[in-house]
Formats: sequence, C-alpha cells, structure tokens
Amino acid sequence: MIRTLVVVGFGMAAHRLLDRLCAEDSGHSWRVVVLSEEPRPAYNRIALSSYLAGCEAGALSLPSGAILGSPRVDVQLGRAAVRLDRARRTVTADDGTAYRYDALVLATGARASVPPVPGHDLPGCFTYRSLADAEAIRAAAAFSPGGGAVVVGGGLLGLEAADGLRRLGLGPHVVERAPHLMPAQLDADGARLVERLVGAAGLRAYCGRPLLAVEPYRRGLLRVRLADATVLDAALVVFSSGVRPRDELAAAAGLATAERGGCLVDAACRTEDPRIFAIGDCAAVEGRSYGLVTPGYRMADAVAGQLLGRPEVFTYSGPVTRLKLPGVDVAGFGDTHALTPGALQISYRKRQAGHHIYAKIVLDKAAETLLGGILVGGAAARSPLPALLGQKLPSPVEELLP
Amino acid sequence: MSGIVVIGTGPAGHRLVTRLRRHDGTAAVRVIGAERRPAYNRVLLTDVLAGRLRPGQLELPAHDGGVRVHQGVTALGIDRRGRLVHTDDGRVHGYDRLVLATGARPVLPVLRGLLRPDGGMAEGAAAVRTLADAARLPGEGPAVVLGGGVLGVETALALRRSGRDVVLVHRNRRLMNRQLDDRSADLLAGQVRSEGVVVECGRRVRAFAPGRVLLDDGRTVPCAALLVCAGVRPVTGLARTAGLAVRRGVVVDGLLRTSDPRIHAIGDCAEYDGTVAGRVTAAWDQADTLAALLTGGTGHYRGTPPATRLRGPRPELAVIGRPDASGAETVLLSDSERYARLVLDAGGRLLGGILFGLPEAAAAAGQHYAHGLPLPPARLAFLLGTRPVRTAPARPADDLVVCHCNIVTRGQLAAAWRSGSTSAAQLVAATRATTGCGGCLAEITEFSRELAGDGAA
Repeated sequence: MIRTLVVVGFGMAAHRLLDRLCAEDSGHSWRVVVLSEEPRPAYNRIALSSYLAGCEAGALSLPSGAILGSPRVDVQLGRAAVRLDRARRTVTADDGTAYRYDALVLATGARASVPPVPGHDLPGCFTYRSLADAEAIRAAAAFSPGGGAVVVGGGLLGLEAADGLRRLGLGPHVVERAPHLMPAQLDADGARLVERLVGAAGLRAYCGRPLLAVEPYRRGLLRVRLADATVLDAALVVFSSGVRPRDELAAAAGLATAERGGCLVDAACRTEDPRIFAIGDCAAVEGRSYGLVTPGYRMADAVAGQLLGRPEVFTYSGPVTRLKLPGVDVAGFGDTHALTPGALQISYRKRQAGHHIYAKIVLDKAAETLLGGILVGGAAARSPLPALLGQKLPSPVEELLP
Repeated sequence: MSGIVVIGTGPAGHRLVTRLRRHDGTAAVRVIGAERRPAYNRVLLTDVLAGRLRPGQLELPAHDGGVRVHQGVTALGIDRRGRLVHTDDGRVHGYDRLVLATGARPVLPVLRGLLRPDGGMAEGAAAVRTLADAARLPGEGPAVVLGGGVLGVETALALRRSGRDVVLVHRNRRLMNRQLDDRSADLLAGQVRSEGVVVECGRRVRAFAPGRVLLDDGRTVPCAALLVCAGVRPVTGLARTAGLAVRRGVVVDGLLRTSDPRIHAIGDCAEYDGTVAGRVTAAWDQADTLAALLTGGTGHYRGTPPATRLRGPRPELAVIGRPDASGAETVLLSDSERYARLVLDAGGRLLGGILFGLPEAAAAAGQHYAHGLPLPPARLAFLLGTRPVRTAPARPADDLVVCHCNIVTRGQLAAAWRSGSTSAAQLVAATRATTGCGGCLAEITEFSRELAGDGAA
C-alpha cells in the first residue's frame, strides 16, 4: 500500500530526509509532498557568507536532482503550510489546497530572532538567515561601497556574516552582548584570541555591550547605540543574534512545544501525535533544540529509518564547530565547557613562530578519553583532535595540537 | 677586640655564624641578639601555636665556644668611622666587618583596640613572628587570624588542627592574593573551609576588644586570640641612622655589601636587586655566600628563585617563580580538585607556576625551575605524573569521522576511492562529504592526496 508523507519545509534537514528516502525506499512505499515556503530547492544555508562575499547562488545548491526528478515526490516551491488539522490528518497550503497525510514531518526550521530594540526594523536593517536575506544584504551593500556595517551577534554566524560583509567591501563591526565572542562555543581565553585574529583581519568586536537602539542618521545611514554609549555609524545593520524555532503550525494544532520554543519530540523525533515528526531547527528533541546542521541531519536519518520500518533514534555526541575566516581557524567540538562531571581540562596558550595558538582540551577523569575541546589559531582546522572525540588519545595530547 | 660582629640571631644570622665557624674555626665572631632566648627556627612557630611542639624544640644548635653571643642585648648605634657598635648594655663592640641580620617586624594594621596606650599590643592579640608572640596568646578559645597570606593560612590551619574554632579574615577577595590566581585561591579557600576554618575574604577587622572582634560588615566574632599575619617590614633603623643606603630594606650588592663596604646585610632586612625576598631560603643563600666571602672564599649572590610551599600535609600547594609573568606559553590544568598554571619561556623553561593538589608535579617543577631546565614536551603527562602513552597507529583509524555533518569516515572515503572515486571531487559526489558545513574540504583534499600517494607506492 502506498502511503503519503507530507514534509513541511525544504531546508537542509528536509533535504537530507528526502535524499535518504529516495535512495532507500526501494519498495516505493511512500508518496511524498513537500511544501517549501522558499521559492527555491534546498541550499547550503551554512555557506551563506560565501554568497555574501560574491559567489553564485547556484554554488550553494544541494544536489536535488534525485528528489526533484522522482515521480513519487511532489515538491511545491513557494508554498507555505498554513494549517494543520490532526483530526482530518491534513495540512493546508497557502493556496487553500489540503494535503492528507499518513505521516507528517515538520521541518519548518527557525527564524532569526531580532532583539526588540527601537529601530530594529528601519530600512537598512536585515536578518541573516535565508538566501533572500543574503540577496537583500548584497544589494544594499552595492549602494554603499566602503561604508560601515554593524553585525548584531558575535556568534559563529555573526562572524561569518561580518566576514562576508568585509569581503563585499564594507567595514564591519560586530556587537555581542555576552562578555566575549562565540559564547556558545568558546571560553574567555579562546574568544580573546579569536577577537585578536579577526581584529587583524579587519573586524572590530564590541563585546559585553548590549545594543540599545538603531536610529536613522544622515541620508541612507544608520546609527547604532550600545549600552556603554558607543555609537557606530553604519550603512546597514545585520541581525545574527540567535534564532527561534518555527513551531507555530504545531502549536496551533495543539502539539506541545518546548519551553524555549520548538516542537517537542521524543528521541525518535516523534511528537505526541505518532503520525507527526519534527526534525531540524524546528524540533526540540527531548526538550533540547540544537540549531546546527549535524544534529538536524541525524534527526532526518532517524526519521527516514523509521518511515522505512527501522526503529532508529536520534543520537548525537556533540557539535564540531568550525569557523571559516581567512587567517582565523577555530574548531570547537564536544564538551567545550567541560561540563561532564569529573572532567579534566588542560589549556595551552602559545606564541610560536609569530602565531598565536590557543587550545583547550577536555578529558575524562582518567585523562585518557577526549570529551571535547577548543582550538583557535595556527592550523586548528587540520588538527586531528576533533576526529578523536570520544576516543582514547593515541599519543600525548601536545602532539595533537595545531 | 675586633673581627666579625653579627647583629641578629634569626635564621640568617644563625646560619651565617655556623658557616663562618665551619669555614674558618679561628674566625673571631661576636653575635648581638635582642631576643632573650637562643636562636630558634621561626618557620616552626605555627607548630608551637598549635601545641604540637614546645618552644624549646625550635632551638637551633648552639654555636661553639669560639663565638661570643650577647643575648637580650640591643644594638643602639653604629659608629662607622670608629667601626664600633654601641649596645644598650653600655658596651661598645669594635668590628672589622659588621653584618646586619636584623630581620623584619610585623606590620600592624590600624585597628581600634589592637594597641594599648603604651604602644604594646592589647592582651589576647599578637603577631605571629617570635616565640614571645606565641607565648602571649591564650592556648584555647576561638581564634581570629588576620591576614590570608601564606603565614595567615598556615596559622589558621595549624590552630584549627589543634581543635580550636578559627576565623580567617582577609581583606582581598583571594587568599594568598600575591601568589595565587582566582582558580587556585578558590581551591585553597575550599580546602581551608573543608577543614573547618571560617574564611572571610574581602573583609576587614574593624575593632578588637577582649573576647571579640568587629568585622567591617557589622558582625561580631568571638575571639580569645587575635593573630595578626599582615606582613612584615624590614628592620632598618640602625642602618638608616648610620647613613647607609636604605630603600625598603638595607640595599646590598652581589657581595652583600651595603653602601659601606665594611658593613653587610643579609636576610629579611636586606634588599637585593630591588627586592626584599623575605623568605628563609633567600636568607640561607645570602648567609652561605657571605660566609664564604668573609672567610677568604669567593662567591656572588644572584638572587634566590622564589618558591613557596604551604606547610602541612594539606593542601598541597606550591607557588614557583612568577606565575603572573607573561611567557611564550601558558598551560592551565584543572579538574574539580586539582589545578596547575605553568608559565614557560620560548625554550619551555618555567618562569612561574602554581600547583594545587599535584605534589609530585610540584616537586618536579621546582627542580626544573631551580636548575633552569626545560619541561618535557608532554606537559599533561608531566603534571599528572603519568608516562606519555603512544598507542597511535601510523595513521588515524578507519572509523574516524572526517565529515561531521554527513558522518563520513575515513574508511568510507577509502572504500569510495577503491570503487573508482579517485579525486577529491568524486569523493565528494560519492560520499556527500563536505556538503554540510564544508569545513572538512581541506581534509578531504589532503586525504585524497594521501590515497593517491598510496596508490603510486
């Protein structure tokens, strides 16, 4: 019997799910309807900064030939889902069409959360989440060559956005309310080195200073005020200060959501309604949302497996975070904050051959098994350490540092 | 009669005289000491306070009969032209060489009720410097230790271990703030508290009255004995009056000479190279060097590397050199109960270190520091006292994940290569590696080069 799967959203997690289904559903047991709010097939959202910096939109596309070409998959681009009726098992699209499902996967992603400061919605203010956002930023930047720009949010994405703006010819400032950059991934020492390295690359960071307001200034310019009375002039302001899971469809249908947003699902990525799953940034697996692509892919894998009759659950050992800026190598992986009970941490701050290197390694109590780490500077991206996560170290840790 | 006159019977003076007589059994030495009792080992004073040792057990070996000791006699003045020392017993002592080993005296904080109208300390209060101080303090009842430096912490622990209630009051928010950083000070405070000492950091004592002290937050703490451990100041009055160069201490050069080449100074009263060491190890080094010089030998004092170890079985805390120095490399190790900070120069030599709960590493680091040896490159193994393991296969195992977004392992990449995907681009197409965040592109390229090399070989 052929059943119908409706997938709401066509971002990276949905793409992974569809890719797996197309490849593995050899019994042709599923017909799939994909409702994609965005007018284009899934693309590599993580590479948005390279689009900002000038590469073609096409370079971001994920290989979707098998999905789009499959007679069993109906991808509706530019079609948002507006209502979920669990009793009738239908999802209604914004053109009024109702799609009946046997199984439903919510992959609605997340939206940029913008701090509600005065002026956050002035012309010249942008969020940084979709290709459309990036297109708008690129267009605006073309009108103000050499101008200043402010990126609100000093996390991974904010820094990458700032670097994209720099490569567009703007002079970016990064504003972060936490005391240091990349607070989710780094400790203060590591972040200090990142700040220094990105500073050398032309990005000025203002940490520990919340944004107070964005104000219109001279013709076409904005003025950004920080809590410490710093004033920054900018041709454009980009918000990259976190995301909020898009769980409205689920919430309106009476499904539980997590305290900080996100469709609440169990370890199998299933909501309380056994026919409905949630994956990717819109999901809160056992209450926790991740906002990273790897766990999103793991959720997609788990759901693909279940749809094909394999009892799979979501497993995820911890993020590997890499920051890709010229001259700044950062890798954060596993338990970067040494929160595992009994964990031992050792950090190294070195100057060698004119380069600054910071490395923090988190080990188990016996100082044998790698639980996590932070590498900044040097050839951090080429250290073998991230790949050894969860394993016993094969040689003295000092020999594995960048 | 002339010869060598030594003023002071503390550790510096005692060590000097012992060495002088050993080097030259005929050296004419006279010692003038203000304390009424024979020389004793000040370092063990906290054990007397804790009742573990009797005062007599601190006594240092008496000098041989060739040394004339004037006990309980205070030097009043130096006549440099006449090369004479005047003492309060009305005598005059001629010298060829004079050695000032007058030590240091406790700093007393400004504190209501601490001093009697005559300038002496109130009953129930004392510094922790001399046996006379120790004798002044009641042997039981709650004690308050004022000052959380090395001596204050040692004193508080010693008293607590003798069964007394102890409150340790320190004005800085960190114990031993001149030696420690935040983390080690936290661990130390935790350890001291776990032994039952009440630690009040960031607090001052405002007033003392028999039986209690008043803290600056308004609380009153019962106090049968107030022990003042607020640092010391070099005793330099004699040198200053005699017109010798004095800054914080009596200024000496590498031959331990004051500005008058016939007068020397050693120990806690001496300032060498801008610093008053204030440590017994420095006093001993200086005494040894000077003893050699005064008996026709050679020598040059070049400073004593600072090193502090807290006395007692616990906590195991050692401070070496200058932990706050900026070096080419800083290594920090910590878990819930251990901590190390090592600051190294570009050659891997220790500039400073703090080691808490790591006794073996502390001893080893102290040795490396004292001899200027570079630490072994396996710092973690050095700190934990383990042997560096090396179980590494020649290359990473097949199940190592290369692309974390798509969970692609080296094994999968190698298999794809063997199935005909023999370029980086083909590996990407076959395995989907790099199509997530793209962060592993360099590794894939590198790995494909490696595989190509294997094929050629």
